[in-house]
Amino acid sequence: MTKLLWIAVSALGAVAWGMLALNRGETISAAWLVLAALGTYLVGYRVYSRFLATRVFGLDNRRATPAERLENGRDFIPTSRWVLFGHHFAAIAGAGPLVGPVLAAQFGYLPGVIWIVFGVVLGGAVQDFIILFGSMRRDGKSLGQMAKEEIGPLPGLVAMVAILAIMIILLAVLALVIVNALKDSPWGVFTLLCTIPIAFLMGFWMKVWRPGHTVEATLVGIVGLMLALVGGHWVAESATLAPLFRHGGTTIAWSIIVYGFAASVLPVWMLLLPRDYLSTFMKIGTIALLALGLLLVVPPIQMPAVTRFIDGTGPVFAGKIFPFCFITIACGAISGFHALVSSGTTPKMIRQEKDARVIGYGGMLMESFVAVMALAAATALHPGVYFAINAPLASLGGSVDSAAEAIRGWGFSVTPETLTALAASVGENSIIGRTGGATSLAVGMASIFSSVLGQGMMALWYHFAIMFEALFILTTLDAGTRVGRFMFQELGGHFWKPLARTSWYPSIILSSIAVCAGWGYFLLQGVTDPLGGINSLWPLFGISNQLLAAVALCVGTTLLIKGGKQRYAWTTLLPLTWLLIVCLTAGWQKIFAADPRLGFLSHATRVRDQIATGALDPAIGARLIFNDRLDAVVAAVFMTITVVLVIASAREWIAVLRGRKPAETKEAAYVESAYA
Amino acid sequence: MRERSEVASSVRLIASTIRRIVGMPDYATFVEHMKRRHPQCAVPSEREFFDQYVTARYSGGPTRCC
Repeated sequence: MTKLLWIAVSALGAVAWGMLALNRGETISAAWLVLAALGTYLVGYRVYSRFLATRVFGLDNRRATPAERLENGRDFIPTSRWVLFGHHFAAIAGAGPLVGPVLAAQFGYLPGVIWIVFGVVLGGAVQDFIILFGSMRRDGKSLGQMAKEEIGPLPGLVAMVAILAIMIILLAVLALVIVNALKDSPWGVFTLLCTIPIAFLMGFWMKVWRPGHTVEATLVGIVGLMLALVGGHWVAESATLAPLFRHGGTTIAWSIIVYGFAASVLPVWMLLLPRDYLSTFMKIGTIALLALGLLLVVPPIQMPAVTRFIDGTGPVFAGKIFPFCFITIACGAISGFHALVSSGTTPKMIRQEKDARVIGYGGMLMESFVAVMALAAATALHPGVYFAINAPLASLGGSVDSAAEAIRGWGFSVTPETLTALAASVGENSIIGRTGGATSLAVGMASIFSSVLGQGMMALWYHFAIMFEALFILTTLDAGTRVGRFMFQELGGHFWKPLARTSWYPSIILSSIAVCAGWGYFLLQGVTDPLGGINSLWPLFGISNQLLAAVALCVGTTLLIKGGKQRYAWTTLLPLTWLLIVCLTAGWQKIFAADPRLGFLSHATRVRDQIATGALDPAIGARLIFNDRLDAVVAAVFMTITVVLVIASAREWIAVLRGRKPAETKEAAYVESAYA
Repeated sequence: MRERSEVASSVRLIASTIRRIVGMPDYATFVEHMKRRHPQCAVPSEREFFDQYVTARYSGGPTRCC
């Protein structure tokens, strides 16, 4: 009976893939996208994750987990599998899986969905699972510590520098996504500003008035958010209030930088903790709502399966389908950042070893499904509307007429009236050139929600979606700046001892300024970039995140080889090889490509020529040239770091395989579990 | 009477599940753990427990992804 069921699931998945791949020229239902993904996940989970769990890792419920052995009621707590699944999912899923697929939709729906679904089954979920497994067998050690212990002290240090650098690019690009969604939008700015006093209120509630009453405080916060959302509408309509909240990109960027600094030096309970709770519930709630909406509406996918932009001429970002589809969609297919979470709080809470399968592998499949839903919401938009929102203003021109004209030139049709009406229906002056994915996702989500619940609510749903994205991006910003600060303090402590004192105020302020200046610089660079910023920063983020995944897979491979599982090392070597090919090619192209839209250095050359002919103000030009060179250096640094780490790991593998080094890992000793 | 206590206990269960999902440990579980494993130690108050948790949670590596 179960066998029959699995045959049916596989067959359904195969049929769905067939429908997606063979469909030409007509619209296709989003249901096929969802079915193809779900069918593949189910088979992947059932077959591949079981193979990993039993053969490769040898998960054993008789072996006590750190949660059981080191139980302390605080961070080491045996936790039921499904609660921990929820916790882990909420920790790994963020803005990444929502934004990347939306941007990559410029290639059509097919390349994105293939990479998201097969990438996760063979790569992303394997990475999350093996790091979770490795950390669980090592008392919950972090990725950096495992790299240090299993590969060597220098690789450990290099990995730490890499993590800090990636964090800085990540924060900059996420902040840019928010700035582009909020500029010139009094409604959005007002709602987001309100989240700050709401968080304070929740913080005082949990800390001062009713300690530990998290749930109560969170309910108060959610009600506050909804009031702020409705209030935003009222502000946007008011002739006196609206101008107070209408700001350009640069002002909003500076406010976010100042906010990020303040949030990282204030006590955690005041801002970070309440925001963290709020965004967790908003995230789970909204994702569930999106799934339900998609299920009820089943919108037709309007984007073609494959667009002509696979040749690299796309307006959303430059670069051909290979390697840039695999760079643009990082989270959702494979995300190096997860390795940090999988070696953080989760491994300390696993009750029994076999639970790691559904949490590590299953949790990542779930995130991948979020990415598929984001892709569906974006490709359900009319392609003309999609490109009007996601192409930079530089190529669209400043008006709806010029935008419609440009889009016609790309082979899609949209009327200026449609664009004006759409902007009005979501309560904005204009929606064109809002690069970064947040706006088009919000429009997509709002159209799905309002076709279930009535068209009158479109503007409210749009701003709900914007607030939801802004809320958890700002939470990532708070948390990321703080984590960056700790890393900076630890690294800086090697050079100047007092910096390492994590609770010494001068050190806190100095290192917070350093981290904020780091991401703030790239943010401002993006905001003032004539090409919209996303074009240069998102690929840098993708490359860095994928390279971090490569580092995690190096650690994973080392764990397998040293653990006597050489035979199965292909499970991590396969995604590792693919990532290296993709990232090094993409990095190389971003630095050296002759096309000035793609290559940083050739762009710098073009700017120099423009200055020479007098087409560009020399002061602006000099800044653009500096930024291009800086971006090229950043890409080169990421690539070098990764190559160094891969070589260091490979030497270790060869030493073990040739018998020059004993095949032994730093696993904690076996202790019999009382649960089995 | 019995019904009311059942409702109360399921409300407690839901609240504790929600707290666990956001990553906050349960005070009641902690008190029980202290009584069972460390009966000689003084149990921190709920306020102290909350403070310790907040400091411990946000002083390490990343807790949230992109």
